[in-house]
Amino acid sequence: MIKIHKKSDKMLILGFVLPALLIYVAFQIIPLMGALVFSVSKWNGLAVSPVKFVGLDNFKILMNDKNFLISLKNMIKMVVFSVAFHTPIALLLAVAINSKCRGHKLFKAIFFVPTIFPLTAVGLMWYFIFMPNGALNLFLKSVNLHQHVVPWLINESTAMNAIISVNIWVGVGFYMVILLAGLATIPDELYEAAQIDGANSIKQFFLITIPMLKPIIGICIVMDIIGSIKVFDLIFAMTEGGPNGLTNLPTTLLYYESFRYDNFGKGSAIGVLLLLLALSLVFLSNFLTGEKRRNK
Amino acid sequence: MKQKQTHHVVITYSFLIFVSLSFIGPMIFTVFSSFKNNNEIFSTPFSIPKIFRVENFIEAWNAANMGTYFFNSIVISVSTVIILIFTASMVSFILSRFNFKFNKYLSVFFLLGMMIPMQSVLVPISYFVGVLNLKNNLVALVLVYVAFSLPFSILVLTGFMKGINNSLIEAAIIDGASFWQVYLKLVLPLSMPAIATVSIFNFLGAWNNVVFPLLFINDNKLKPITLGLLNFNGERGSEYGLLMAAITITVLIPLIIYMLFQEKIEGGLTAGAIKE
Repeated sequence: MIKIHKKSDKMLILGFVLPALLIYVAFQIIPLMGALVFSVSKWNGLAVSPVKFVGLDNFKILMNDKNFLISLKNMIKMVVFSVAFHTPIALLLAVAINSKCRGHKLFKAIFFVPTIFPLTAVGLMWYFIFMPNGALNLFLKSVNLHQHVVPWLINESTAMNAIISVNIWVGVGFYMVILLAGLATIPDELYEAAQIDGANSIKQFFLITIPMLKPIIGICIVMDIIGSIKVFDLIFAMTEGGPNGLTNLPTTLLYYESFRYDNFGKGSAIGVLLLLLALSLVFLSNFLTGEKRRNK
Repeated sequence: MKQKQTHHVVITYSFLIFVSLSFIGPMIFTVFSSFKNNNEIFSTPFSIPKIFRVENFIEAWNAANMGTYFFNSIVISVSTVIILIFTASMVSFILSRFNFKFNKYLSVFFLLGMMIPMQSVLVPISYFVGVLNLKNNLVALVLVYVAFSLPFSILVLTGFMKGINNSLIEAAIIDGASFWQVYLKLVLPLSMPAIATVSIFNFLGAWNNVVFPLLFINDNKLKPITLGLLNFNGERGSEYGLLMAAITITVLIPLIIYMLFQEKIEGGLTAGAIKE
């Protein structure tokens, strides 16, 4: 570390920091403050109409808003199913690929590539698979499963599940790559010793792999929770929140409330709730992983 | 023992092949369909196209504006990466090398941004961009992308720069090199691996984003490809072959980037995940 004393050096440092600082403050910190202000205001987005202070009214309205409660329920469902499927599937795939079987690089690429595609493209791709006469139903008909043919994204009971399954599909590769990096850190000697002691692969998986990967599995779960809360593009491309607003998440409801119905205060209040949720999850995860570090 | 080994291999392969079918299936279906017309999509949905109707791609590119959207996305993503790399690396150079009163606070201040969900600030950002009269202006879009990419980029670059040998930099300063020279001729070239990772990530981030263009851009000539795709779906969504061609065009750049920089992408991802 180089110490700074001279005034001219201080000016230079300022010059190096300023461009980033200005952009960051202008487009992230000031809007963040703005979100707090808007969330306690009533405003319809028109420059001519005043921004009226209404205290916590927006939050009270949300607590009794049927659509918001549906979106919360959907969010919880999204989080629970994503966590329940992402890491277990990703872990099995990572272990299989880590065995360096023939073609393991190709398999890895196949599972990973969807995670870097634009979610609008992924959403539309699946929209056409779930369409009433889309690929899924054509496939079901071709194998004589006519009774299972459903208009997936229009049907109220299947629409949210369809979106959740696409979210699971698109994210598995991401967690697989992270778990693969974790697997690479487990020393081979552990497995060799276990083999000599006569432990079969299933035992090795539960007695070595899982315990050694625990911290990384923890990271995956936290990232998954935070990621599932932020899902937006998929719903936007697949259902736009329909049918009857039943597939909205707080993120999409925020968008529709603000930019389709011009309830900027209500939209911002959802934004502030999302922010609080994200912050508390980050602190919780830091607390948990910090605890682990201290125990070591 | 041998018997058991083959047993394992069979299970591993069956599992991998089963899952990869569910991954490749939808992608292949999309690509196959992009060469078909509506009739063929519904009568022979899963077969290889008999005639490769390249005209789907040509029409999507020309008549449906995908070409324009594609180039807008290139312009937006490249400018984002260039501005980001300069601003982020300059701050990181200072944060990683110099000891001054506010160093710690500044680092934490920048890191805070990683916790702010994009959606939380949609309303105020849209409001400010409106007030500044920057709607339908790619500059605003690029600056917003830079702002949202700064925290992670600064984290990665500062971490990397801390590892650069101090004696190199001190020697240069003793030899009379200015900060600017040290930064441009020493720190920046030495940080290339980290800069590459940050560039690829944020290029993809800018390419894939749709929510900010949704708020800022309604001029068809300025739309990026993600928004253009949604637009296309709204206008001509019943021409499935064309739409599949448009989807294929949209995912092409991320696919190429992955094939070129596979290790960088995966390495950056794990670095990001573990650091958080």
